[in-house]
Amino acid sequence: MGRIRHDAMDRHGGFEVVVACDTALDPTASVPMVTDPMAVYDYAPDVIVCSVPNMMIPDVVCTALERGKHVFSEKPPGRNSADVRRMMEAEAAAQAAHGGRVLKFGFNHRVHDAIEEAKKLIDAGTMGDLYFMRGVYGKAGGPNYAQNWRNDPALSGGGILIDQGIHMLDLFQMFAGRFTDVQSFVQRKFWTDVPVEDNAFALMKNAQGIVASVHSSATQWQHTFRLELYLRNGFISVDGILSASGSYGTEVLTVALNRLDATGSPIPNPESQELRFTEDRSWDKEIAEFHAAVVEGAALRCGTSQQALDVMELVEAIYAADPEWSTTRQQTPQTATE
Amino acid sequence: MQTPVFLDHLPDIDAVAGQKPAKYRLRRNQALGALLLDPTDPWQERKCCPACGQASDKNPIFSQALMEFRRCSGCNSIYAARTPDQATLDRLRLEQIAATAAEPQGDREFEFTSLLNWISLTEARLERRLDRVLDIRFASQAPAWPDATERLSHNRAWDFLHLEPDSPDFAGLRAAIAQAAPRAILMPAELDRAADPAALLAALKDAAAPGTVIFAASSCADGLEYEILGAESPSFVPLDRLTVFSIKGFETLSARLGLKVLEVSTPGRLDAVILDRYFKSAENRSIPFWSSFFREADKNRLRDLQILLQRSLKSGVLRFILET
Repeated sequence: MGRIRHDAMDRHGGFEVVVACDTALDPTASVPMVTDPMAVYDYAPDVIVCSVPNMMIPDVVCTALERGKHVFSEKPPGRNSADVRRMMEAEAAAQAAHGGRVLKFGFNHRVHDAIEEAKKLIDAGTMGDLYFMRGVYGKAGGPNYAQNWRNDPALSGGGILIDQGIHMLDLFQMFAGRFTDVQSFVQRKFWTDVPVEDNAFALMKNAQGIVASVHSSATQWQHTFRLELYLRNGFISVDGILSASGSYGTEVLTVALNRLDATGSPIPNPESQELRFTEDRSWDKEIAEFHAAVVEGAALRCGTSQQALDVMELVEAIYAADPEWSTTRQQTPQTATE
Repeated sequence: MQTPVFLDHLPDIDAVAGQKPAKYRLRRNQALGALLLDPTDPWQERKCCPACGQASDKNPIFSQALMEFRRCSGCNSIYAARTPDQATLDRLRLEQIAATAAEPQGDREFEFTSLLNWISLTEARLERRLDRVLDIRFASQAPAWPDATERLSHNRAWDFLHLEPDSPDFAGLRAAIAQAAPRAILMPAELDRAADPAALLAALKDAAAPGTVIFAASSCADGLEYEILGAESPSFVPLDRLTVFSIKGFETLSARLGLKVLEVSTPGRLDAVILDRYFKSAENRSIPFWSSFFREADKNRLRDLQILLQRSLKSGVLRFILET
C-alpha cells in the first residue's frame, strides 16, 4: 500500500518523500529507508503516511499527531472503536497544540468513479428517496490465509468484515447516514483454523427507515463487489470495483429510471444505462484531497475520523448482534479489545 | 467523455417489417421520384464528406433508389452525393406528415420515456440544471411528444420548434433558439435529414448560449446493420438518410464546429432483428459467418448480439451529448 500511495503522490506532485520505513531495507529504494518507526522523525517530515497492520495504526497515528504531523492512514482505522477514539483525541490535541492538522483515513471506495456517479445521481434528487441498499463484497480467502496477520484478531480486530466488508459499510453510511438497528449472522465455515469470521451477514435500519443488507465473505470464490441502491424512481447498481489486482472486474454503474403506465405505476424492467469505468483514479483523488486539506486547509469530505468512528462502531454492532458469535469471540483469548 | 450503453427489450420484428414502415418507405421514395423528375428543383453537389471533410472523389459511390451515395473512406460516414435544398426537404416532410396525420400513430411512449430519462440522468450526472429545453422539430415528427413531456417531465419547461421550411443557414432555427434561450436542446431526428448538417449544428452553436447542452441523435454508419447491408437496409430510406454519420465523422464535425462532446452512445435496438429478418428471408445471400449466425439465431442470441453491439458502439443509431 505504501508504494501505491508513493506513486500517487508522485503523480500528484507537491510531495517530496523524504524517508520510508519498512520491516526490511530495500537496497533498490529511491528514498532513504529505516526500520525503526521513530527514526522517520529524524528526517523532519511534514506528513506521515501510515500503511501498517491494524494493531500498529493507533500508535503510529497518535505519535505523528503528537509531533504535529499531518497523517494519512490506511483503513481499517485500527482494530475497534476504542482505537479510533484514541486517535480522535490525539487529533483534537494536535489541533489545539499545532492548529490545522489533518487526519485522513483511506476509505478509497467513496471516490471510485462509479460510486461518485451514483452519489451524484442520488444527490440531484432525480432518483427520489432512497428505500434500501444491498451490498455483497467477497473474495476467496487469499494466499497463506491462516498465517496472515489479518486473520489474527489480536492484530486485526476481526476477519473479512473489518478487513474488506468495512468498505461496503462505509458506503452504506455515506449514502444513508448512521444505522441504528442491526441484526446479523457471523460465521466461520471454511477457514476453521483461524479465529476470525469468514462470512458476515447483516441487516440494518437507520432512523429514517432505510434498510441495508450486507454480505461480506471470504468464501466468495468468484471475487465480487456489488452494491445496489433502490430508490423511489428507479435503481442504481455498481458491479465490480477497480483494484490493484483487477480481480473484481471493471466498475459498471447501471442506472434506470422507472417507466410509468397510464395510472402512474412503474412498468417492470425499465430501460437502463450502463457506464463502464476502467481506470482506478481513487488513489489519486484521495491524495489530491489530502494535499488540498494540508496545503489549502480545505475540509475533508472522505475518510474523516468521525466517518472512521461511525463505521467502526457499525462493525462492532454487527459482531455483537450475533449472540452466538459474540459469545465465541469473547471466549477467544487472542481477541484484543483494548 | 462517457460512453453509456442503453439496455432495453428487443423490439418485435413487426416494428421494422410491418405494413406501416413499408408504406412509409413507399411514400418517401415516391416523393423522391417526383423530386428527381422535377427539373426546377435545385440539387447541390457535395464536394466533400459532410462529416470529416474528406474530398468526395476519394470516396466510393453507390446508388440506392435512384440516388447516389458515397461511403467516406476517411471516417466511414455514408452520405448522399448531392442533396436538394433545405426548404424543399422540409416541404416534402410536411407533406408526408400531412398525408399520414389521420393514420394511427402507434404507441411511442417507450421512446419518449427513453428521451426524457436520458435528459434527466444527464442533468444529474452533469450536476447542472437543464430546466428549459427546446425541442427541434421532433414534435412535428411525433405529434404525441408534447403531451408526453407535459405528463412525464414535470421539472422542465419545454418549447417546441415545429417543422417549417427553413433557409440553408437555418435562419428560422437561429431566431427560435435566441428567443427560447434554452439550457438544453433536443434534436433526435434532424441530422440525417438535413441538406447540410454542419450548417444545422453551426446554427445551434451560434444561436445558443455557451454551455447549452445539445442532445442529438442520428442513424449510425458504424452500426452492424449498415456495415453489412449498407443501403440495402430496410431502414435506409434515402430522403431520411442524406447523411449517416459514423462516430468518428460526427466527432470530427463537432470538433471542427467548436462543440464539446460530453457523451457518445449507440443505443440502437434494431440491428439484430433487421439482420435476422434479412438473412432468414434472403436465402441466397451468403456472407461469411453472419449468414449462418443469423439463420441459426434465436431470440436470446439476437439480444446478446444487440447488447454487444451497443457496448462496442456498433449499433445503427447514435446519440451524442454536446456542449456549446
